Amino acid sequence: MPRRSLTKEASITERDRRISEEDYRSLQRDYTDATEQFAAMNEVLSALGRSSSDPDAVLDTVVESAMNLCRAAAAQVYLIDGDHFVLSSSVGLSPEFVAHLAAHPLKRDRDSLVGRVTLDRRIGQVADVLDDPDYGRQDLQRIGGFRTLISAPMLLDDEVVGTLSLYRTEVEPFDERAIALLGAFAAQAAIVVRNVHLVLELEERGIELARRVEQLEALSEVGEAVSSSLVLDEVLSNIIMNAVRFTGCDGGSIMEYIAAERSFSVRSAYASSDELLSRLRGIRVDLETTLVGRAALEGHPIAVADLAAVELDPHLRILFDDGWRSVLAAPVLRGTRIIGALVVRRRTPGEFSDESIEFLETFASQSALAVWNARLYRELETKTAELQVVSQHKSEFLASMSHELRTPLNAVIGFSEVLLERMFGELNDRQDEYLRDILSSGRHLLQLLNDILDLSKVEAGQMELSISRFSARSAMEYSISMVRERAALHGLAITLDMETEIDGIESDELRFKQVLLNLLSNAVKFTPDGGHIAVTARREGDEMAVTVEDDGNGIAQEDRERIFESFQQGHRGAQSEEGTGLGLTLCRRIVALLGGRMWLESDLGVGSTFGFTVPMTVRARDEDSRATDEAHLPVIVVIDDDRASLDLMTAYLDGLGVRVVHARDGEEGIESVRATIPAAVLLDIRLPRLSGWEVLSRLREDEAVAAVPVIIVSILDERARGLALGASEYLIKPVSRDDLVDALRRAGAVGVAGPAPSADGIESARGETV
Amino acid sequence: MDGRRVLVVEDNQLNLKLVRDVLSASGFEIVEAHTGEEGVELAASCAPDLVLMDLQLPGIDGYEALRRLRLDPRFDSVPVVAVTAFAMKEDRDRTAREGFDGYLVKPISVPALPSQVGDFLDRGRTNDR
Repeated sequence: MPRRSLTKEASITERDRRISEEDYRSLQRDYTDATEQFAAMNEVLSALGRSSSDPDAVLDTVVESAMNLCRAAAAQVYLIDGDHFVLSSSVGLSPEFVAHLAAHPLKRDRDSLVGRVTLDRRIGQVADVLDDPDYGRQDLQRIGGFRTLISAPMLLDDEVVGTLSLYRTEVEPFDERAIALLGAFAAQAAIVVRNVHLVLELEERGIELARRVEQLEALSEVGEAVSSSLVLDEVLSNIIMNAVRFTGCDGGSIMEYIAAERSFSVRSAYASSDELLSRLRGIRVDLETTLVGRAALEGHPIAVADLAAVELDPHLRILFDDGWRSVLAAPVLRGTRIIGALVVRRRTPGEFSDESIEFLETFASQSALAVWNARLYRELETKTAELQVVSQHKSEFLASMSHELRTPLNAVIGFSEVLLERMFGELNDRQDEYLRDILSSGRHLLQLLNDILDLSKVEAGQMELSISRFSARSAMEYSISMVRERAALHGLAITLDMETEIDGIESDELRFKQVLLNLLSNAVKFTPDGGHIAVTARREGDEMAVTVEDDGNGIAQEDRERIFESFQQGHRGAQSEEGTGLGLTLCRRIVALLGGRMWLESDLGVGSTFGFTVPMTVRARDEDSRATDEAHLPVIVVIDDDRASLDLMTAYLDGLGVRVVHARDGEEGIESVRATIPAAVLLDIRLPRLSGWEVLSRLREDEAVAAVPVIIVSILDERARGLALGASEYLIKPVSRDDLVDALRRAGAVGVAGPAPSADGIESARGETV
Repeated sequence: MDGRRVLVVEDNQLNLKLVRDVLSASGFEIVEAHTGEEGVELAASCAPDLVLMDLQLPGIDGYEALRRLRLDPRFDSVPVVAVTAFAMKEDRDRTAREGFDGYLVKPISVPALPSQVGDFLDRGRTNDR
């Protein structure tokens, strides 16, 4: 304490003026004292430096120095503990004194000097304790034999935390110097105590911090589990294991809420016997009448400190019978929606700490998304499996239908033909007419059957093309020849206008003929008698464009897209005319498969023109299968590293008339966006290598793609950050198809009126808009 | 009439009847078999000039029946024609690989059938497999 030494020096100088022998001796003593004091203070200070490692040693040093410097018989540090004092450190006390003090501690009252200075908050002295009528601890006086007492309060932040006390066994009051010294030492002792407090607090905080870190890790583990494994049971057992661990419980279970039954079902348990788990799984935990249900309805955790003391619902009864004594249940909520419940339990009765309750509540809310996602994915899996089964059944049904329906139809057609050929005799007119009706109905049925089979093959991706080089002219002439007889019956003229340079093309001849024949049949069917059907073929770059134009009634604007749908015929021509209603649907699909597109132009009362293109070479087809099928479609880039998410997004985008480009990480995503300049980007945040935030920033900095709307689709709820960085929409997984489509519409990436008509290679009417 | 005997292997009674009646009316001699096994057996006893073989048969199918027929050198010069459904393109491709000398698509065309059968008879064996 250098400042104090300087003060001492100053007083010595002052005293120099009236020097005497006595003064000199006094001065000598002062000097010695000051030196000793300085040494003692030094010792205390250096001890203080080590206080965090051994606070008791510092207090011992303080006590000892105080006793020596103040020439006392004994010194003690008392610390306040509630309404009494505890002897923390002492020197010069007999074991008997210490033991008696422990058994009969000093109180916060005026019986003892320690009590008085604590109440008065200032140093106090009793010159002779035997002369003090108010002194009440004669018991101690008899054991310690003290006469003069002095005590200084230890103040910490204006609060008395204890005292530093001295006594002498003879009556010899402490002088001012001693009083000042004691005050200084008491202050030191207080600092030691503060340091001890700080250390303890630090250690506690360290432990708390470590626990928080572990909790956070546990939470992030849950998040990881959901975005990677997606295995429901794994996620759930992970959650319940961590919940049990961090609430310091002995076991627990996680329940899923089944809305349809208004009850919970135990999905997974931790530290529970197989028998307990099977008993828990065997019951439904009702929403209205159980502890778990009440926690869910009230929206906060409910604890039962002693199961023996409460009325048991069936769920608690099972736990109680299995030896569990206290339970804490927290609802798993998503907004106000009940998803499930977390239940942790102990084998011993007792209250749950606020910390445990708070933790379980937090953990439950963190787990909600995981539980919800896991459930969605499970449903998706179930649906997919069901769809596969249905699809399998459909294929088998079609295969058997093919055989079972064809055979009798073949007989119907064949025998009608036998009779109509007059193989076994003449027919009268009516017989001839009826047989023709039977024959045409039979053929119609067979065509319907073939179309259904073809369509289902295309839809199942099983239609295989047989590409060869053939004469387009021959194929077209053949198709026309197939309908010429019927056209002649109705007085219809069919003309073919073909550019001479076109002849050999590489495509599927059978399918090419099938499409053209279908268009021709329709034209013949729907053109009034005496009309004209014009077939043209032109070369357009690498493609051949074929049109079939009639001068029939035309097709109303509202019917133009509809007639490409299954079993739609539009309002054209005679209602009685029959078609399979599948022909155009099938044609559109086949043309797309061939790498071309199909369109319709029509004017009511003037006529209709159906057209389609096919690539003329295989190479053009390969290039065009992208180009014609998809190149004219708007692109959506989906950046997501999770396969399941990608698949789901792609499924959602199916039928929107967009081309989906996948990227599995941030770098790849940025490249894809730059390469395709998409209509929109769907961006996940948790990506390998480059986070979604970084991707978003970089896209925004790149002038070429800065205007592309970015829709964040993430499991993270950081909407504000996303929008601040320039995202146009922020969706939180799991996302519904409607939400996604709405977001894309708002971003202007897809049309307002649902599926774009350009899907599947069909363009909407290019002609006049009505 | 020499050289006009046709063995028809077909499990469906109506189809068999149709083919039989159409070909009989055109002067062909018809031998009927309802299964592949029966067809192989009858071929040995009736010495046909042409075999019309349905592919989907109960018991052994048309392919197996053809293999068994080809084991007998007496049939080396007898053309065997597959009768297959229109939709079964894969079957049509397979017929050539498996050694059929031709194929007829179901539904058969009644007016065309007699001349088609006549052509097969005239051409004889075309597939040496």
